[in-house]
Amino acid sequence: MAGLDSSAELPSGPSALGIFGDLARQQYSALSTMRWAQFSNGLRSNKGILELGARVLTYTVYGGTGIGISTGIGFATYLSVSHSGWKYLPIFFWIAFVIWQLVPIVMASFQEQFDLGILLRFPVSFSSYYLLYVIFGLVDVSTITGVFCCTGIWVGATIARPGETWWLALALAGFGVFNILLVRAIFAWIDRWLAQRRTREILGAIFLLLALSAQLLNPALREGRHTTHTTPQERIASQRQTFDRIRPWLQRANEVQRWLPAGSAAQAASTAAAGSPGAALESFGVLGIYSLLFGAVLGLRLRSEYAGESLGEAPSRKKAARREGAWLQGGSGPIAAILEKELRTLVRTLPLIYAIGAPLVLVVVFSGAFNRAVISGHRFEFAFPICLIYAQLGFIQLFYNSLGAEGMGIQLYFLSPTPIRTVLLAKNIFHSLLFALVILTASVLATLRIGPPSELIAVTSIAWLLFSLPCNLAAGNLFSLLMPYRINPGRLTRQRGSQANGLLSFLIQVGVMGIGALVILVCWFTDTQWLAAPIYLVLAAVAVFVWLRVLRNSEGIANRRRDELIATIAKLG
Amino acid sequence: MLAAMQTAAIQTHGLTRRFGALTAVENVSFSVAPGQFFGFLGPNGAGKSTTIKMLTGLLEPSAGSIEILGQPFSAGALDLKRQIGVVPEGMALLGRLTAPEYLRFVGRMYGLDNKTTNERTEELLDFMQLANERRKLVTDFSHGMQKKLALAAAVIHGPRVLFLDEPFEGVDAIAAGMLKAMLTGMINRGATIFLTTHVLEIVERLCSHVAIIHQGRLVANGSLEELRAGVASSLPGAEGSQRLTLEQIFLAIVGAGGAEPAQELSWLA
Repeated sequence: MAGLDSSAELPSGPSALGIFGDLARQQYSALSTMRWAQFSNGLRSNKGILELGARVLTYTVYGGTGIGISTGIGFATYLSVSHSGWKYLPIFFWIAFVIWQLVPIVMASFQEQFDLGILLRFPVSFSSYYLLYVIFGLVDVSTITGVFCCTGIWVGATIARPGETWWLALALAGFGVFNILLVRAIFAWIDRWLAQRRTREILGAIFLLLALSAQLLNPALREGRHTTHTTPQERIASQRQTFDRIRPWLQRANEVQRWLPAGSAAQAASTAAAGSPGAALESFGVLGIYSLLFGAVLGLRLRSEYAGESLGEAPSRKKAARREGAWLQGGSGPIAAILEKELRTLVRTLPLIYAIGAPLVLVVVFSGAFNRAVISGHRFEFAFPICLIYAQLGFIQLFYNSLGAEGMGIQLYFLSPTPIRTVLLAKNIFHSLLFALVILTASVLATLRIGPPSELIAVTSIAWLLFSLPCNLAAGNLFSLLMPYRINPGRLTRQRGSQANGLLSFLIQVGVMGIGALVILVCWFTDTQWLAAPIYLVLAAVAVFVWLRVLRNSEGIANRRRDELIATIAKLG
Repeated sequence: MLAAMQTAAIQTHGLTRRFGALTAVENVSFSVAPGQFFGFLGPNGAGKSTTIKMLTGLLEPSAGSIEILGQPFSAGALDLKRQIGVVPEGMALLGRLTAPEYLRFVGRMYGLDNKTTNERTEELLDFMQLANERRKLVTDFSHGMQKKLALAAAVIHGPRVLFLDEPFEGVDAIAAGMLKAMLTGMINRGATIFLTTHVLEIVERLCSHVAIIHQGRLVANGSLEELRAGVASSLPGAEGSQRLTLEQIFLAIVGAGGAEPAQELSWLA
């Protein structure tokens, strides 16, 4: 029984000690090799090459956007530092902070991230696990954009005050570390909360409540805006009055923000540049405390994960024996069954609710901008359709990857006597109903914010949507069969997306919008605005025909590709 | 003789499946008579799951043909699919539904009316001892509970032919006994069951006929007695001296696979 002798020596190997110990370094190397192998193996297939091409293109776009924002913020910093010294530096730090924290929320559902949970079966130390978690977060869009912003601030300030910005570089570096830790901590905790069904439902309810609350703010925001016939002088006087009213609040906010992360980072840089190292060190200390705090918050979460807690699905606590009836009892048959199943799945899948709901909230936010955009005394008449177009963007994932959330259940569609085209038809019906509901909600929101559209605009918008919907459904059905990817319904982050699917579906959206815009342009410039709606309806008829053809052919496509579909959507991990 | 004249419940001719250069299943032909409990055995990677996937329409054969209940079977044979129940390798469960919701969904996908679906759902939940977990999402189920649910879903429409890929894996002894009783009852009522499992004791107890696949080729096919007699005659000293177990038959046909691992892996404690 030598093998069971507890005193027997363990096999010799690399030391497990330390975040950079032999074992840790060996593991980092193994992980890099594994990631590289995954990447290069992916290139063996056409899909992998397409994916790489899409990824390069997407990251080029991200990079370009980042450089654009960076240039803007850099130029603004240059102007500000040149004219007013370091006084307004906190503003740029706060802008960078908002961008850094907002981008991952907007992009969460579309980014592919490596799930480090697979490492837990190996002897990886907690510190290594923590480090890897942070490092893997460095290649996401938020970090890229945030780093570009910080670089822009530094370059702008350096051009304005050469030789005075070494402290600024240090402050920006500390600020960057803080932001990285904050983003990772937020998403680690969000994943934890979303892991429990009850919490998911509560968060879903809060989300909807917030969306509705935004509506209640509307009357307050619109208060006093009915006097549209004001002279520029009156408007300036009114604005000055408003500014005087809020000035004390701004001063107080300025005092407070100095003690917040972005403010303390800016304060550290500006006081150091002004020759007050003591004050600078104090601000650095505050920033350091924030970084440690959020580092600890992240550590708390990762410690539980590291201890073996499964984030995939924490069990629901409630065990009720209540008998429940089926929905849609009146309708039997596969279509009713799929409609019911889709509805149940949707209300339990926060990433999808989020994808649909987030654009609605942003419609509320952005429609305020249209409200202010008065051109020659007239309201911008295309604000309403633009809001509807934006609301539609939330459906990309549902339309273009309609089978992605099925998991192992995808096999059932091939086992049952229900044809795949019936499955897709039922999904299309469900998505169309949902689409109609969201568009209706967006219309109400937009109307409350910017006022009702003219009849012509309303009819034209509806006609365009009737054209856009079947286009998206037809293309979406094809993409769902040809370029599917698995959606993990329990996670908001760390999804394995598909850049190729995302990019191509985005291009189709752009194409549909482009056709719509072209029709509008021609009709408006030829003063035949009434013609736009009939043209859209003709296009809609063509799109419906195409959609029906795609549905008819979907059976053959699905059966030819069922191995790959099942392998992709039902795969584990 | 009568059995030979009956239409086979399952019949394959030269069934082959290639994955690139790899031939996972090669020229497999066999026939399963109606009412037969048919065990399909093989070591890991032998081609069992690939075969069952082809038989149920989850995978297209590279060559060969399949007949179910006397009719050519393909993925598009929807009427035939109504006669078939399957517990596939991945169980085909939908994690975001509860067990009753899932069973109702499956029943309706197989064309059952609501009343029948609801009645059968309740019966199956009680039978599978899942009634107390009706509010829990399937994704929160233990592996054994998921297996029971997958089996319930496979039989809800009353199939004439049932394909089971490792149905007893992860199922506790009590539930396994219950499932065996249910499957035997189905056989007694005339259903045909095609079973793959690594638990040879179950096959020995339940199956009347056994086929063994090894490295993608069918290496044995017949009743247990026929296999036993065949192996006994080929083993020196075994003939007539003892009643061979299925494990002995299996090992004799497939081979133990080389030297004992513990002797090879000297570093293993």
